[in-house]
Amino acid sequence: MIPILIGVTLLTFMLFNIFGGDPAQRFAGKHATVEQVQTIRAELGLDRSLPEQYLFFVKQIATADYGRSWASKQLISTMIGDGLGATLSLTVPAFFSSIVFCIGLALFAVWGRGTILDKGTVVTCLALLSISSLVYILALQYLLAFRTGIFPISGWDPSWIGRWQYLYLPWIILFVLSLGPNILIYRTVIMDEVFQDYVRTARAKGMSEQKVFAKHVLKNAMIPIITVIVIEMPFLITGSVLIENFFGIPGLGGTLIKALNDSDFPTIKAFTVISALTYMVFNLLADVLYSVVDPRVKLG
Amino acid sequence: MPTASSSSADVSTSIVAETEQSDRHQRRARNSLWWDAFFRFKRNKVGVISFFVIMLYIAVGILAAVGVLYPNAQVPNQVEAYTSMSWAHPFGSDIFGRDILGRAVHGITTAISIGLLASTLSLVIGLVLGAVSGYFGGKVDGFVVWLYTTVDSIPYILLIPSLTFVLGRGLINVFIAVGLTSWVTTARLVRGEFLKHKNRDYVMAAHAIGAGNNRKIFGHILPNVAHLAFVQFGLGFVAAIKIEVILSYLGLGVDPSQPSWGLMIDDAKNEIARPYWGNLTAATLFMFGLILSFNLFNDALREALDPKMKNK
Amino acid sequence: MKQVQRFRPHSQSTTFLQVVLAGAVAVALAITGCTKKRFDEKDTTLNVALPVNLKGLDPSNANDQYSATVIGQIYEGLLQYNYLKRPFVLEPKLADGMPEISKDGLTYTFKIKKGIKFQDNAAFKDGKGREITAQDFIYAWKRLADPRNTSEGFWIFDGKIKGLNEWATAVKAEKANYDTPVEGLTAPDANTLVIKLTGVYHQLSYVLTMPFSAVVAREAVEKYGKEFLNNPVGTGPFMLVKESDWVRNSKITLKRNPNFRSDLYPSEGAPGDAEKGLLADAGKPLPFADAIVFSEIVESQPRWQNGLKGNFDWFDIPKDNYESAVKNKTEIAPELGAKSMALDITPALDVTYIGFNMLDPVLGKNKALRQAMSMAYDSKTYISKFLNGRGIPSQGPIPPGIDGNEEGYVNPYAQFDVEKAKALLAKAGFPEGKGLPELTYEGFSDTNARQNAEFFAQMMAAIGIKVKINSNTWPQFQEKIKAQKAQIFGIAWGADYPDAQNFYQLYYSKNKSPGPNDTSYNSPEFDKIYEESLKLPPGEARTKLYVKLRDIVAEDAPWIFNAHRLGYRIRQGWVNNFKWTEVGYDYPKYMRVDSKLRAELGAKF
Repeated sequence: MIPILIGVTLLTFMLFNIFGGDPAQRFAGKHATVEQVQTIRAELGLDRSLPEQYLFFVKQIATADYGRSWASKQLISTMIGDGLGATLSLTVPAFFSSIVFCIGLALFAVWGRGTILDKGTVVTCLALLSISSLVYILALQYLLAFRTGIFPISGWDPSWIGRWQYLYLPWIILFVLSLGPNILIYRTVIMDEVFQDYVRTARAKGMSEQKVFAKHVLKNAMIPIITVIVIEMPFLITGSVLIENFFGIPGLGGTLIKALNDSDFPTIKAFTVISALTYMVFNLLADVLYSVVDPRVKLG
Repeated sequence: MPTASSSSADVSTSIVAETEQSDRHQRRARNSLWWDAFFRFKRNKVGVISFFVIMLYIAVGILAAVGVLYPNAQVPNQVEAYTSMSWAHPFGSDIFGRDILGRAVHGITTAISIGLLASTLSLVIGLVLGAVSGYFGGKVDGFVVWLYTTVDSIPYILLIPSLTFVLGRGLINVFIAVGLTSWVTTARLVRGEFLKHKNRDYVMAAHAIGAGNNRKIFGHILPNVAHLAFVQFGLGFVAAIKIEVILSYLGLGVDPSQPSWGLMIDDAKNEIARPYWGNLTAATLFMFGLILSFNLFNDALREALDPKMKNK
Repeated sequence: MKQVQRFRPHSQSTTFLQVVLAGAVAVALAITGCTKKRFDEKDTTLNVALPVNLKGLDPSNANDQYSATVIGQIYEGLLQYNYLKRPFVLEPKLADGMPEISKDGLTYTFKIKKGIKFQDNAAFKDGKGREITAQDFIYAWKRLADPRNTSEGFWIFDGKIKGLNEWATAVKAEKANYDTPVEGLTAPDANTLVIKLTGVYHQLSYVLTMPFSAVVAREAVEKYGKEFLNNPVGTGPFMLVKESDWVRNSKITLKRNPNFRSDLYPSEGAPGDAEKGLLADAGKPLPFADAIVFSEIVESQPRWQNGLKGNFDWFDIPKDNYESAVKNKTEIAPELGAKSMALDITPALDVTYIGFNMLDPVLGKNKALRQAMSMAYDSKTYISKFLNGRGIPSQGPIPPGIDGNEEGYVNPYAQFDVEKAKALLAKAGFPEGKGLPELTYEGFSDTNARQNAEFFAQMMAAIGIKVKINSNTWPQFQEKIKAQKAQIFGIAWGADYPDAQNFYQLYYSKNKSPGPNDTSYNSPEFDKIYEESLKLPPGEARTKLYVKLRDIVAEDAPWIFNAHRLGYRIRQGWVNNFKWTEVGYDYPKYMRVDSKLRAELGAKF
């Protein structure tokens, strides 16, 4: 994990501090003088040597203190903390309800394997995947909010009770977006189990198909399914950038887009490191899970 | 009585013969594998139809690129802005009075170019790194695994914009960036296959007759993992076209001198308030046709190439 | 291989579907039930939309219009613009009367109103806001100069106040602090502030209306340190009561400041204001609203839709909604009029232009080429296409409403004429564009800006000039301009204050990039007249010089003049005293919501 983290920091550092241009120009404002640009460069620490700047970045990660955003001068830890709650209240319900629904549908499809039902499910999923996510957002927001007024167009309420009304439509869109990929992947995973020897044995013993599914297939498929879910968990944090932007949800996605548009390097770097850490933690978790269940797999 | 030396020569000849035989055997097996795959594919009606749809798209894309179809797709006609559907403009015209159908047709050229660019790049990188890493193992393997885990752990939406600092902006550069960052899955799969194959008999035998590393990697193992490459290429192609839309919305990789579906959908973002649906409808329909065909084709291809996948 | 099981439909699955459907219906009903939000009959809160996310609330960083709008409710400076009078008239705000100016124009003496208190805050003893003094202004202005604050607002005093720049240099070298005196900023007593200038600076009174120059409490800055930007303490009509009233990237709620001084609605206005009912509240104490909620909504469509639902008291009309909102250019659409919404049209006091990099080897030295491109550009079509006609083609940099804009003046090179453009292009040495290398236009990556760029390229293509378009993020775009790496770029300038000088400084050679002179235009003749104009007070002599300056830049064509925009916005029927102001941020305190009417009308939306 440490080597990967070093890789991530090196790559981010290279991309921003070496190739990223001179952000001091951008933060000097429209009336800037040459001296002001220099002052800002010094304030941002851009006049120091590259190894010094890198060590500073590493120190920030080690102490989990990312300093302040260049653009807004706010504490980055506060910005991330503020955004996290909003992002999670958008992604968590959609993510888990989609998992339950999609596993259900995937079981359905596997049950009907070889029939039009299975084929139909696959083709529908592929068709759902053939439309850009941006189109889903534009069309659903227009139809369900602008046109019919069933849902509020956008907005946010910091209170836990008040925010739900603004989240129904984003949830629906996120849910719809996840249908295609989720059903396909769970279907593949479950289908793998159907052809395992023990399932055949069970069937050969005369066990009814319903029982085979409930007792063997689903039970055994749960391990790979949980692994898939765990690996996808980082999505909970990074997966909703566009939706947040369109619905005015003050989450991490919007913060990130703004940081990118502002060339706000410290914020971008903090994001990169945090999402890389999340990715690594969940991957490790998936490995651990696998090795617990299947002792043949050794932890590398 | 054969001498010791001749006996060793005998042994080596017999190994050579054996190797050649196994090599031939292997090749025959491989050829029949490809034939099998071809026949399996031919039986899949959906796959065949989607293949022809893709060919049709490519033909239209080429015709547009050489200027046979809609040569004036970029020429403005300021007075005819936002006309509604008509025979002359089946999808209406855009803000500059340009025919939306013509722009959607030229969008095929853009989509296919960026799809080819990004997926070829990512396939080549993925294949080479995966092969080298799986084949040589040890430190090389360690390095490649480290590299792809690192790249994979940085979210896409951060990696692509920051790569454009190095490469510069513009459509081509951004899709080079997409190619440079999307090879991880391919590398991982190819590496896995190479780990499996490198200790197989046919590779051992090739080694015994003195085949070099190059020959073993490219001549022997690579053809056996080619089915992976096909499938990954298709997936990358589709992903690149979809990414173009998102990047256009974010204002990255935009090149207004060439019509693209991403630009059309970005235009549509404001137009649906008018309400004016021409751009959104045309771009979505054209994209849907190409990507769905590609998805179905890929699916059929995977089934045909991997018999274990049957019924899956 | 084992035979594939055929699928048999099960009754359970239908039940499952039914449950799902029933659930969906229930959820939909619950949602429609709770979106019908009604307004309280006694609630006088102003609801305002901001198109950006707020960064912080430190007046030394009030560098964009929207941050300044919010900061301007909490903090106050010495002067303000009269709310109703046009052209703009300065009047005292925290100052007790207008300043006394010495004959040489170098010394300004301000009296400060007595008994003005800061908003209550934990930074003060017992949490009660203390009285402001002249020292507080000196402290605030030193903060602008302090290099550690990297304030974008220092330009208002940079090089203008005696000893302030030297103080800043000393601070950088750690040889001075906030207690070190500055020659040009003194307070003979608690209510007197004396400013000594390095040279004549007629614009000083204007910049003293800007939130940058607002009074700040030293205790608060020292208590909160870097968190001062989240803990504003001013003297203004509204205040941030607790930090949690600002939900980042979402909305900020400001409440009425109970310590607010006695401030009255003006009893005189511009001609016609009385008829419009703008003087009905004359002499009444301000502010009228108990609170303001600023909602940060970045995408234009949600902003517009929320406005139509009555969630904002006034809101801009996005380009693509124009046709559904406005009839005959000046009337509100009947559907909206029926909801008692009204249309407000106010000139934006800005100029949009396309700048040429004057250091560029091709463009910089070839006047005829620039003139040709200027004449090939059709600003009328630009206005109809991108502004729905909401603008006028600009003939020079100065927008109408500012002294120096000459009504009826026609700039010969700002007229769209393809034939003349072609002739000029031939004169420039590139007949039909032959021999001219491909030019590069830098724009930024928002949908409208990209379409503007496409439009420019189309216009140039018509006379044979090839233009390549580069899309940048806003900071990358800024960086290219500041580093003089942008060849051609489209941008706008909005007035900081209503004085033509604010526009003409954009051509002054000493302001060249990274300063505000983005094109790095350099004309000794222009510089000479500009420097002369700086020394003159507003009046006929100065206006004459402004006209001369305009003629020079019209002839040299470092810019293609594009448009002066008109702001179109919708005001709800329940908002009284609405008069849009393009400079100054005081308007919310004058607005009065008829809360009964809002409750009544809002229920129907």
